[in-house]
Amino acid sequence: MLSYILRRLAWTFVLLALVSAVTFAVFYLLPSTDPAVARAGRQPTPELIEQIRATLGLDRPIYVQYAKYMEDVFLHFDFGYSFDTGQDVREMIVTRLPATISLTVGAVVVWMAIAMPIGMISAIKRGSALDRLTMTGALLAISAPVYWLGLISLYLFSRDIGAVPIFAGNGTYQPLTQDPLAWLDSLLLPWLVLAAGFAAFYARMLRSNLVEVMSEDYIRTARAKGLSERRVLWRHGARGAITPVVTVLGLDIGILLGGSILTETVFSIPGVGLYAYEAIQSADLPVIQGTVLFAAFFIVVMNLLVDIAYAFLDPRVRVS
Amino acid sequence: MTDSSPTTDRRRRGTRVAALACAGALALALAACGSGDNDDDNGGDGAGTPVGSPTTSEGYSAGLPSDAQKKGGTLKLLSAEAFQHLDPGQAYFQLDYMFVFAVHRALYYYEPSDSEEPIPDLAAGEPDISSDGRTVTVKLKPGIKYGTVDKNAAINGKEVTAADIKYAFERALNPSVPNGYFAAYFTSIAGSDKAKGGNISGITTPDEHTVQFKLDEPTGATLAKALVMPIAIPVPKSYAAQFDAKQPNPYETDPEKQAFSGPYMVQDYQPGKSMTMVRNPNWVAGTDSRPAHLDRIEWVLNADPNVAGRQIFNGTGLANGDPLTPATVRRFARQAKDRISFSPLGNRWVPLNTQKKPFSDINVRKAVLAATDRRAMQLTRGGALTGDIATHFLPPGIPGHEQAGGAAGSGVDYLAKPSGDPALAAEYMKKAGFASGRYEGDPIRMVSSNDSPAKETALVVRRSLQSLGFEVSQRSVDQSTFYDMCNDIAQQRNIDVCTNFGWLPDFFDGLAMLNANFNGASLSRVNQNPALLDDPQINQAMDDAAQIADPDKRAEAWANVDRMIVEHAAALPWLWDKQANVVSKNVHGVIAKWNATWDLSYMSLK
Repeated sequence: MLSYILRRLAWTFVLLALVSAVTFAVFYLLPSTDPAVARAGRQPTPELIEQIRATLGLDRPIYVQYAKYMEDVFLHFDFGYSFDTGQDVREMIVTRLPATISLTVGAVVVWMAIAMPIGMISAIKRGSALDRLTMTGALLAISAPVYWLGLISLYLFSRDIGAVPIFAGNGTYQPLTQDPLAWLDSLLLPWLVLAAGFAAFYARMLRSNLVEVMSEDYIRTARAKGLSERRVLWRHGARGAITPVVTVLGLDIGILLGGSILTETVFSIPGVGLYAYEAIQSADLPVIQGTVLFAAFFIVVMNLLVDIAYAFLDPRVRVS
Repeated sequence: MTDSSPTTDRRRRGTRVAALACAGALALALAACGSGDNDDDNGGDGAGTPVGSPTTSEGYSAGLPSDAQKKGGTLKLLSAEAFQHLDPGQAYFQLDYMFVFAVHRALYYYEPSDSEEPIPDLAAGEPDISSDGRTVTVKLKPGIKYGTVDKNAAINGKEVTAADIKYAFERALNPSVPNGYFAAYFTSIAGSDKAKGGNISGITTPDEHTVQFKLDEPTGATLAKALVMPIAIPVPKSYAAQFDAKQPNPYETDPEKQAFSGPYMVQDYQPGKSMTMVRNPNWVAGTDSRPAHLDRIEWVLNADPNVAGRQIFNGTGLANGDPLTPATVRRFARQAKDRISFSPLGNRWVPLNTQKKPFSDINVRKAVLAATDRRAMQLTRGGALTGDIATHFLPPGIPGHEQAGGAAGSGVDYLAKPSGDPALAAEYMKKAGFASGRYEGDPIRMVSSNDSPAKETALVVRRSLQSLGFEVSQRSVDQSTFYDMCNDIAQQRNIDVCTNFGWLPDFFDGLAMLNANFNGASLSRVNQNPALLDDPQINQAMDDAAQIADPDKRAEAWANVDRMIVEHAAALPWLWDKQANVVSKNVHGVIAKWNATWDLSYMSLK
């Protein structure tokens, strides 16, 4: 197992290098704003543009820029400075990470708390009115874009502009360490909004998995052995149905930790996603690179953790 | 420049032109509420200080100060954008200017009620321009002090001196303080061509309160006008040199470290998130005309613009930090007229490539100007409240506007009908050698932004061109790419039409409005002259006008330049923009007309 984990970790670095290479290539090969020109003001001299180009290190060959960047990232954990603001990218990402983690963890808790019971009840009561109702609701939630849902929820339920003022509104985020209650208050609505689509998706997935598992031979065998339906469901059915959910969950958490751009934008939560969004708007390559690498890192790591968790959840994987 | 919406355009352009770009957000929204109003929104006559909250004759807020404003309280600004540059040596953007002029003082300053004539701020009086126009001398008021957040900083409480002004100019040529407009207005300072952040021999300080600019050219009048720009904000060398030696420059990245001479200072700055400004205890109120009513100003950056508009509408103590969404403008214009103000904001035009066929032929250009439906173009941006249909290039408020014909224009026939004149256009095409009155040649290349409402405006232009027989090969790109293409000389040469260009003046003067856009001397690698206009007579007229100190003669000279450009039909002027700004019900908003947005030093709570 240890050698497997080490192998996977080594591949993680290779993958991150590939991701950064692709980001670099996209930035240089596709039409994009010249950062030096963008920073030079509207009446620049050619000298000023070259001056800025040199300052930003853009006057060096692309492969040199890339090699230097990789050296800084992997040897010094240095992501460079923002072309736009001059801020240290690593510091900025680290500063914004708690907001993104807060949003992600809370949303995961909310959507799993909603999806698990709904998915299981729908599977058990398949074809019932309750099943139809919850699955229709799930379909609607999946169909609602998070940006739209966020705006509508703010217009309906935020305390400053909502018709039914219940939750804290846009731009109210407070760090957990500063004011735990305000943190909780500010994130309740974003959690619900972000979780809505995921909860619906997971409920549907869990339902279909459980329906499939409950028709397996080993479930019939368990029933034939005289086990109670409750024991069959929890001991054998749920365990088998939840394994694929763990895979997807791990990847989703990884993706969200890389930044929930839409949710962070609509609620003005100063997380990594909003930071990435700002960087994309201004062709700020070091920030784009940094946020993409962080996102890729989380996805790869979560993927690894999922694979390890699999081994514990499913004995067949362990054996293979 | 092109249009944009705050929701889609947050690019850091490093230019004030971006402010005009963002004003595109008003578009589409206002046709419904504008109803063709002739919203001459200046309200009062600009003289004196009215009592109460002044409104225009249409009921909109005039954005003027009043005697009834109260002291104290906190104002929160909601901005969809973040700052571009916070170092006064680099600031060159509407949002940055709001900040910079609240925490610093420049040599000269525009009062909210009058943008044509700046008043002395750090300066003790008008700039003294020598008779040959080659020397400009400015005396400083004594007793103005710096304040710093770090009370132990050596500069805290020290007096502003002429040497600090000299250093402010010198550091603008330092690679760690890349200034975007020095080349446009200050290269005539002797010795500046060789400076790289060190001494500029042409700037001297005969005594602690006198700074003198010696110029290689007789352009003292232009330099004097440009002393309202933030480059004329003092930066003490003894304190800032340590920062300027670093890259990135902490004077830019950590604005809490700046030496503040204005009424406020930065207490806290979270890049991309927020900024908190508090009173500067060392601000010497007696030397400043600004009242600085507020105790505290908080900025929320990267706020969702749709939500921010509603928050301002419903909430208290709030104002917009940058241009608004159409929905917000519509809501305020319909339901809270006394809380929305409109301010003139530069112009828009469609440049035609004067150096490439078919538009190298003046008659073809005149035909395009005659054929284009400017009223339809205005409607794509939202109608009359977003701006008036332009008839020439100097917009209202800029000296020379009236002399160039005012709203009616100079009287050329090809701009006489705002909705277009197909018959006249056909006549000009015939004069250009197209007997049918329609173009018969290769397709032309047009570049436009794909943001709304720029893309809608581009459609009108395209339709007009097609009505003249042009086959239009249109490339619709994102706003950043649009800039890159239409400002890059290599690409400009292959483009026939760049739609949705526009300009916001750096200061209220004809030169700041016309020189960069139409002087052939500006045609460097990256330039703002997409028409590639390089007419010796126009160039000479601009160079001559730049040397005139007398305000009336100068205005007349730039009006003449304006008329020449119109007669040259180098571009289609189609809109004189206005920007909307809104406040919560308990906020008294005061507009800095020169920046078309709030003057924070005059804002207050009610």
